[in-house]
Amino acid sequence: MASAADLIELMLSGLVSGLVIGLAALAITLVFGIARFANAATGDVMTIGAYAALMATGATGSLALGGLAGILAGALTGMGSYLLVFRKLEGRTSVAALLASIGVGFVLRACLGVAFGHGQQVFQLPLVRPFRLYDIRIQPNDLKIAAAALITLALVFVVLHLTPVGRRMRAVADDPMLARVSGIAPKSVMLALWAIAGATSGIAGILIGIKTVVSPEMGWEMLLPAFAAAILGGIGHPVGAVLAGVLLGVVQELATPLVGFTYKIALAFVVLLVVLLVRPRGLFGRIEGVR
Amino acid sequence: MDAYLTAIAIVTGIYVLLALGLNLQYGLTGLINFGHVGFFCVGAYTTAILTTKGVSMLVSFPLAALLALAAAWPLGMVSIRLREDYFAIVSLGFSEVVRLIATSERWLTNGVQGIPGIPKLFSDLPGGQAQAFAVLALLVVLNLAAIAAMWRIVHSPFGRMLEAIRDNEEAVKALGKSPAGFKIQVLLLGAALAGLAGAVYAHYIGYVSPDQFIPLVTFQVWMAIIMGGVGRISGALVGAILLMLFLEGSRFLRDVLPFVSEVAMASVRLGVVGLALILFTIYRPEGLMGSHKRP
Amino acid sequence: MSITRRQTLAGLAGALAVPGLSGSVLAQAASFRIGALNPVTGAGAPYGSGMQKMILAAAEMVNAAGGAGGRSFEVFAEDTQTQPQAAVLAAKKLIEVNKVQAVLGTWSSGVSLAVVPLTNDAGIFLMNTSGAPALSVPPANAKGLSYRYQATNDRFGRAFAEIALKNGFKRPATMAFNNASGIGNTEGFKKAWEAKGGKVVEAVVYEPNQPSYRAELQKVLAAKPDVIVTGSYLADTTIILREWFQTGDAAKWIIPAWAANADLVKAVGNEASEGIMSVDSISNEGSGAFKAYDAAYQKALGQSGLTNVYAAMTWDMVVTLALAMEAAGPGADITAINAKIRAVANPEGTKVSTFAEGKEALKKGKINYEGASSVLDFDQHGDVTPDFAVSIVEAGKINRKYVVKI
Repeated sequence: MASAADLIELMLSGLVSGLVIGLAALAITLVFGIARFANAATGDVMTIGAYAALMATGATGSLALGGLAGILAGALTGMGSYLLVFRKLEGRTSVAALLASIGVGFVLRACLGVAFGHGQQVFQLPLVRPFRLYDIRIQPNDLKIAAAALITLALVFVVLHLTPVGRRMRAVADDPMLARVSGIAPKSVMLALWAIAGATSGIAGILIGIKTVVSPEMGWEMLLPAFAAAILGGIGHPVGAVLAGVLLGVVQELATPLVGFTYKIALAFVVLLVVLLVRPRGLFGRIEGVR
Repeated sequence: MDAYLTAIAIVTGIYVLLALGLNLQYGLTGLINFGHVGFFCVGAYTTAILTTKGVSMLVSFPLAALLALAAAWPLGMVSIRLREDYFAIVSLGFSEVVRLIATSERWLTNGVQGIPGIPKLFSDLPGGQAQAFAVLALLVVLNLAAIAAMWRIVHSPFGRMLEAIRDNEEAVKALGKSPAGFKIQVLLLGAALAGLAGAVYAHYIGYVSPDQFIPLVTFQVWMAIIMGGVGRISGALVGAILLMLFLEGSRFLRDVLPFVSEVAMASVRLGVVGLALILFTIYRPEGLMGSHKRP
Repeated sequence: MSITRRQTLAGLAGALAVPGLSGSVLAQAASFRIGALNPVTGAGAPYGSGMQKMILAAAEMVNAAGGAGGRSFEVFAEDTQTQPQAAVLAAKKLIEVNKVQAVLGTWSSGVSLAVVPLTNDAGIFLMNTSGAPALSVPPANAKGLSYRYQATNDRFGRAFAEIALKNGFKRPATMAFNNASGIGNTEGFKKAWEAKGGKVVEAVVYEPNQPSYRAELQKVLAAKPDVIVTGSYLADTTIILREWFQTGDAAKWIIPAWAANADLVKAVGNEASEGIMSVDSISNEGSGAFKAYDAAYQKALGQSGLTNVYAAMTWDMVVTLALAMEAAGPGADITAINAKIRAVANPEGTKVSTFAEGKEALKKGKINYEGASSVLDFDQHGDVTPDFAVSIVEAGKINRKYVVKI
């Protein structure tokens, strides 16, 4: 029988994984809102970020530098995928871009598989015992991960709301006609978008890599929960994506005693499905979801 | 050698059936179904469970198709209320849930251990080769029947209705017809075809387990219809053959590219699937756009 | 004669060009074709390429020693992708196109179960490293041509139970990776433990590829076990141990050696891995066979042969096959060779540890090949009945402590 402290610990655990999934969902929702398609390569960009950080940390001995490398790798990959693939698909249906993004994901995963093999790799971080707060165990590493996630979110919001390019991005997202009339959004806006989305994905990948292990498949496996969170939060609604990620993370952990460890994975979808049926634009979305 | 080619032909035939079903759904109604493997799974497990308990294949095959159809129904109800890309993701979730059920409900599916010893088709025929040919013949018959059915649909009032829905949904609604019902029917039909494919698969491989029914299978079928050409029945056939050529052909490629290790080869295979998806989408989208106009 | 896979293409071309004549009669008498069917990709990828390379290396070694029963080995290598469907097609290709006479090294139970009807129909060997009990008996092993070089999951579980008993644990809990092997291990443990009158206080099955196993751990720890027995793999064990350590709860661990190895210690650090009991079916590390295998493994992969227990098994597969062929004499068919497998591997006979040694000793009488992966004594089902070794992680080093016989 789970005690209150146990439940709170589960909630905290769900909070942390939810924040990280929320970061990935943020990347997805930014692209969805501005470039108007679901980018299935997000997971694999996450993996690239994790590997880049791993290599850089190993080479320099500094996790901070490693993190920077991962962020840079994510941003570059994002921009690269835009320039090489998605730019050519502007003006086409979102399905076309979605299918192409799956292809991009496969290609990225294949490159990582060739370069690094399929074995796992880990970030060599010191393990620490938790400290207790009223009988609840709090893990310092969890706090660091959560802090990193929150800082990233804050930075993204700063860019979106306080910089000129961010304002232009939001304008494109807000006003579909603008996008359609101008045909293609100006290149600089798109590049900034893809850089930010890629960097955010990269950070999410690094954080998950720290929490678990790094392998070529890790990002793809996180993709579905991230998608669920993005849709749940409402497409194009960054805050929604993050909150939805946290919500799903917490719900998943708390419901475990009820549904068991296998079905808890399915929970994200059940929640998503129920919410979409009741509120087709998601919890916070502004775009119509009903045909 | 014959037996190997027959084996490839049989697996191709199964993929053709899957591609026909998916093509029906996407080509006729624009539904983006990323959960196709879920119906495949339901069909395979239905016949596996029933026949290992002594039920005849004559009963289990139709039931496989029927249950796959039934599984598609809730998905269909959902599809009419969601925009395409949301539905795509929800359908992906659906197939994962099916897989999770197969993993979890050990009393029914034997869980991760899978169900071995599924009876072979046509086992009273003498010799493996004769049996293989019979399975191939069965697949040819099933595929022809599916194609014939699709042909009739496309050229029937039902089919014309679907075209009308595709071209101007609002007008159709104004006329008092419900587009949603038609779309759901198409989804169900495609699912039934996948269920049948699953049944043949189960009896051919002789063993089913949850990790055979992963999303990658769905995307391989998508790759097949994109390459072959969506909206055209021949597209499914051509696409499945191309897919098979690619998947099996890469085995022999290794002899030509000896510097690529086996491990790397698998990644290369994945990369080529990805590249095919990207390139076909960008440069040869007739497959994607199909024969209909969508905004 | 070097064994390369280019021969596959040549073989295919030959088969296509001359359907009735698959190779000259002379070639058939002089070569014995082996299909190396291993999980190069997929879940078994950490082991598959090592397994495949060791089949190739062992075959080369046999050929260098003059061949077996007047024949030299020709190896055709394929990838199962750890998927039954891909494996079936690969097996068909090996059997039909390459006309192999033995399929070696299928790893996952699903793959072996799917492939064994094919090898049975063709009347050829299937030597595997899978754990599923179903492989021991008909219909899978209807012809007695299937040999399992890995202790069944059941046996592992029984070994775990012996170890737990020996250490005086009273309240074990289990954590199992949700697949046939993981569950097989923990259920084998449960059966054996309950047969001794004990009770398992908690049993958790967890899904792969999760970002956290906190909830699963919590459930197990809530039952206050004194030891946790796992059926797990390296990646998930890494995550679980890290999370366990960071809960601050005390617990002892009994983990299969393919998960509790040097990589795990490196990943979780000395403190978290201190005291872990790592259980292995005895890879005869002291034996001459192991030395030969290890040398070949280091040469081919640059790592210690200890990291891939399955590769030791595939090495042994080739050697046992070769010795049986030698014992059966030139031109022997599969049935005759099959009759000799137990003769060369089971007790009674001069102990030998390499092919060359065994070939020599066969001239004088019976032999007993003690392999690199275990002493290789096959029971009536074709399963090995190895002993188990327990090693304990102490200050970052894995030290062999004692042996458990079941």
